[in-house]
Amino acid sequence: MRARKDSAIPPSAERRGATPSSSRPPAPQRTLCLPHELRGRLAAWICAGYPYETCGLLIGRAGKEATEVEDLVQARNLNRERPGDRFELDPDAFAATDRRVREVGLEIVGIWHSHPDHPAIPSQTDRTGAWAGWSYLIASVGRQGLFSLRSWSLQEETFVEEVIEP
Amino acid sequence: MSIVTVRIPTPLRPLAGGADELRVQGTTVGESLHALDAPLLERIMTSEDEVRSFVNIYLGADNVDALEGLATRVRDGDVIAIIPAVAGGNEAKVLEGHLAKLRARIPEVTPAQAVELQRQGAVLVDVRQPEEIAAGTPSGALLLGRSYLEFNIEDAVPEKGRTLVLLCAVGQRSLFAADSLRDMGYRDVRNLAGGFNRWKDEGIPFEIPRMLDSDARERYSRHLLMPEVGEAGQLRLLESRVLLIGAGGLGSPAALYLAAAGVGTLGLVDHDRVDRSNLQRQILHTDDGVGKSKIESATETIHALNPSVQVRGHELRLDSANVESVLEGYDLVVDGSDNFPTRYLVNDACVKLGLPNVHGSVYRFEGQVTVFWPAREHDPGPCYRCLYPEPPPPEMAPSCAEAGVLGILPGVIGLLQAVEAIKILLGRGDPLVGRMLFYDALPARFTELKLRRNPECRYCGDSARFPGYVDYQAFCAAAGH
Repeated sequence: MRARKDSAIPPSAERRGATPSSSRPPAPQRTLCLPHELRGRLAAWICAGYPYETCGLLIGRAGKEATEVEDLVQARNLNRERPGDRFELDPDAFAATDRRVREVGLEIVGIWHSHPDHPAIPSQTDRTGAWAGWSYLIASVGRQGLFSLRSWSLQEETFVEEVIEP
Repeated sequence: MSIVTVRIPTPLRPLAGGADELRVQGTTVGESLHALDAPLLERIMTSEDEVRSFVNIYLGADNVDALEGLATRVRDGDVIAIIPAVAGGNEAKVLEGHLAKLRARIPEVTPAQAVELQRQGAVLVDVRQPEEIAAGTPSGALLLGRSYLEFNIEDAVPEKGRTLVLLCAVGQRSLFAADSLRDMGYRDVRNLAGGFNRWKDEGIPFEIPRMLDSDARERYSRHLLMPEVGEAGQLRLLESRVLLIGAGGLGSPAALYLAAAGVGTLGLVDHDRVDRSNLQRQILHTDDGVGKSKIESATETIHALNPSVQVRGHELRLDSANVESVLEGYDLVVDGSDNFPTRYLVNDACVKLGLPNVHGSVYRFEGQVTVFWPAREHDPGPCYRCLYPEPPPPEMAPSCAEAGVLGILPGVIGLLQAVEAIKILLGRGDPLVGRMLFYDALPARFTELKLRRNPECRYCGDSARFPGYVDYQAFCAAAGH
């Protein structure tokens, strides 16, 4: 079969911006709006929890293109076997927060958790446990403090990074 | 049948036509859920009618698992919430594989088994960081940490056949440590599964060890490097209480260096106020402090240097009536007094209370130091009265105010006193007991003289019974002071 002119674009350039496992054109990048004040609060929790994984909920409003975070909640990590590299968010905290925020017209829009001494990239374990429709805010934390903060959401089984804006 | 609300979490709303909650009818939680549309129901329940592992069902504030499960009865207006299980974690593929291999090689024990092994003679080795250990550690565990474990283990546990149980916080770092000790030839090394976190969770007793905190570790790091001090010695200094008689020429350098060295409690006896003429040598005080009480001025200076030192000010003139209540509770006395009545009084009280008395005095370019310690267990020494049963005549012993003193001289002598104090507190070296060190600054010469105990001494002699305090002013006045 003869190559058409437009297929001369190298595949790597064609896929730029998409995650490696996706060959479709990328969806427009979503935005996670996280005010500075919340970022500070999050950093304090995460650093205090080091070397263990800490986790919690993002509360706010989710639209098609952006999620606005208006509040954060910390929840207990119930994983006692491996609290250094696994988390299991306390469902009681989830249920209580869900009840509370619905009353004021907000909702749980995502999950935050820390990766002690590891990059802020979703792991295979994160992928397995992930739900579509939420933002997953991951913080890389080390002994020296918060290293980086990145947000991801699941799009057709694949994590796609979101832009974090204040 | 009751009408209940089922709340749908964001991720499942596409299966509920985008609704965030639905009203359904049922008599139990299970029945109410079965009223949901098939795609949503299948997502939360298995074909065996069990709730899937990745969701939790709540009725009001309670997980239905804690109630009667799906059979829990509902009433009109109840709210059932579908709560997605949220889990995840860190990825460390290489590490994972490595840990799995180590786990296969190194036997793991539960906390209860570790306690039993310890009872049978096994050694628990805590390899966590000092700040983690400070919050608690199993009783009797060796606190070797991870950094220098291989360097210290052979001194701590010379027998290679002894059972070792290694522990960290969760049982991972200890795996690496255990592997390393096996390589060193320890034949029975085990790992505490779940680490100290599990130990605590299972309610097994532990102790809060005496340890330096991270600030102290940094501040005294040069002491910690010395085997003669080390952590145990530094802790001993921090628990020590030294009383300085006089916050003047000798007391100033001694107090400053003892505070810097981390002597936990410093008592200061002085009734005077700071005079500008003191500043030529009394380095606890500053020009701003002229007119202030010496105790107040000294306390400020010491706290500026080392805020963790507890300073006890005794702003009084020592006399027979108060001397014992002041000296009580101190480990030793550094006498920097400038008059004979006080020296005799301090000597007599130290003899009575069995305290070492680190004595110093200065005159122009000369100074002398010794330790009076008749109560010392081995090789007891003389007391001040063995040397001077009576005060010397005034022309033989003028005060600084009368004769003058090179400002630096009390610095040299006060620091020699401080060194003796530290040696005694640490139990290291040979204190200047039964010896007097003379320093003459002009020829720059140290001379050592032997001092002998007087077995006939009325205060510390072999058959002496404490004769009581006397009127020290009168006693010295008789000699012309």
